[in-house]
Amino acid sequence: MEYKLQIRGPVFPAFFFCARAHTLAGVMGMNAVFCGMLLIGLLRAAATGQAEAAQQALLGGAGEAVTLCLSLAGAYAFFGGLLEVLRESGAAQALAGAMERPLRRLFPFAPGEERALGDICMNLAANMLGMGGAATPAGLSAMKTMAAGGEGRASDAMILFLVVNTSSVQLLPTTMIALRAQAGAAHPADIILPTLLATSVSTACGVMLCRLFAGRRGGARACPR
Amino acid sequence: MSSLILPALLVGALLAALCRHVDVYTAFVRGAKEGLLTLASMAPYLAAILTVTALWRQTGLTAALTRALAPLLTRLGLPAEVIGVVLLRPLSASAALAAAREALTLVGADSRAGRMVCVICGASETVFFTGALYLGAAGVRRGRYAVPVAMLAYAAGVLAAAAVA
Repeated sequence: MEYKLQIRGPVFPAFFFCARAHTLAGVMGMNAVFCGMLLIGLLRAAATGQAEAAQQALLGGAGEAVTLCLSLAGAYAFFGGLLEVLRESGAAQALAGAMERPLRRLFPFAPGEERALGDICMNLAANMLGMGGAATPAGLSAMKTMAAGGEGRASDAMILFLVVNTSSVQLLPTTMIALRAQAGAAHPADIILPTLLATSVSTACGVMLCRLFAGRRGGARACPR
Repeated sequence: MSSLILPALLVGALLAALCRHVDVYTAFVRGAKEGLLTLASMAPYLAAILTVTALWRQTGLTAALTRALAPLLTRLGLPAEVIGVVLLRPLSASAALAAAREALTLVGADSRAGRMVCVICGASETVFFTGALYLGAAGVRRGRYAVPVAMLAYAAGVLAAAAVA
């Protein structure tokens, strides 16, 4: 099987439409969180007579974002460069190829759905290496392939794919290493192993729960075309 | 030990790149640019969230919330300082990053709570956003058990982070 990022016909417009629609949903969720937290903070300041402290926080808070970004910038540039060198050397393709066989066994594909396997491998490999930009189009393409003929109902394989994605498979927690370096940790990279352990536990739990629920109320179905 | 991982990874990447005749310098520069652009696109979100966290910190709300939730969280093996990250991580990556930074300034990067915050953030994803994006792309209206299982897996990850960090 060849692992290339194939962007098939309807996926690209669909990506933009959904990115907009659901970023909107995500932003609306965050909108409630943001407004609620702001209001609670301001009410607390009013109730306890801390107008001075509130003003200080409001004027200085966004400045913290600027200092944070500046202090993270070096590490972001380094990790971006490192990952691009890995990508150019074909690390994602090699990883995707190595995962094909186990993933074919793991996924409860309904007939027709296994055509998404290449995209699934590519998506997971790119996610493992922290290449979100390459992972998302492959993931959306896999979802669309599996959804064909599903009439708006998520199949077991689709749900397993989503759960594995949301449980995070990233091998190198680059952002957190950068944040720890910025916060003055003695060994910024010493969270790599615990993070791998924790994310393995969550992915394993997700897979087991999916197995438990799979097939209930006709999860498996024929996939026409 | 842990400080060997990144240099080793770089050596591996270099060897692989040299075998494949990759222009390492150009690739590195292109990737660095991409990383910086990613960070720049996160900056406005961080500005919004850090304004709120600063307000909560200055008015004593963060400390009050932490005190109030401490008994419940310690029963789960979690220090109270991780609560912000645990609540915000499934919603937004930048909000979680802001909360993580806030926690690290409070407890220090090398404390157990500080490490735990980083492990939780690194071992999880924006469940709601990714779920909405992927299910929406496939035109799925009935997600069945997808989101509950994803959230249970997240909870398992948090508890595992508490155990190993």
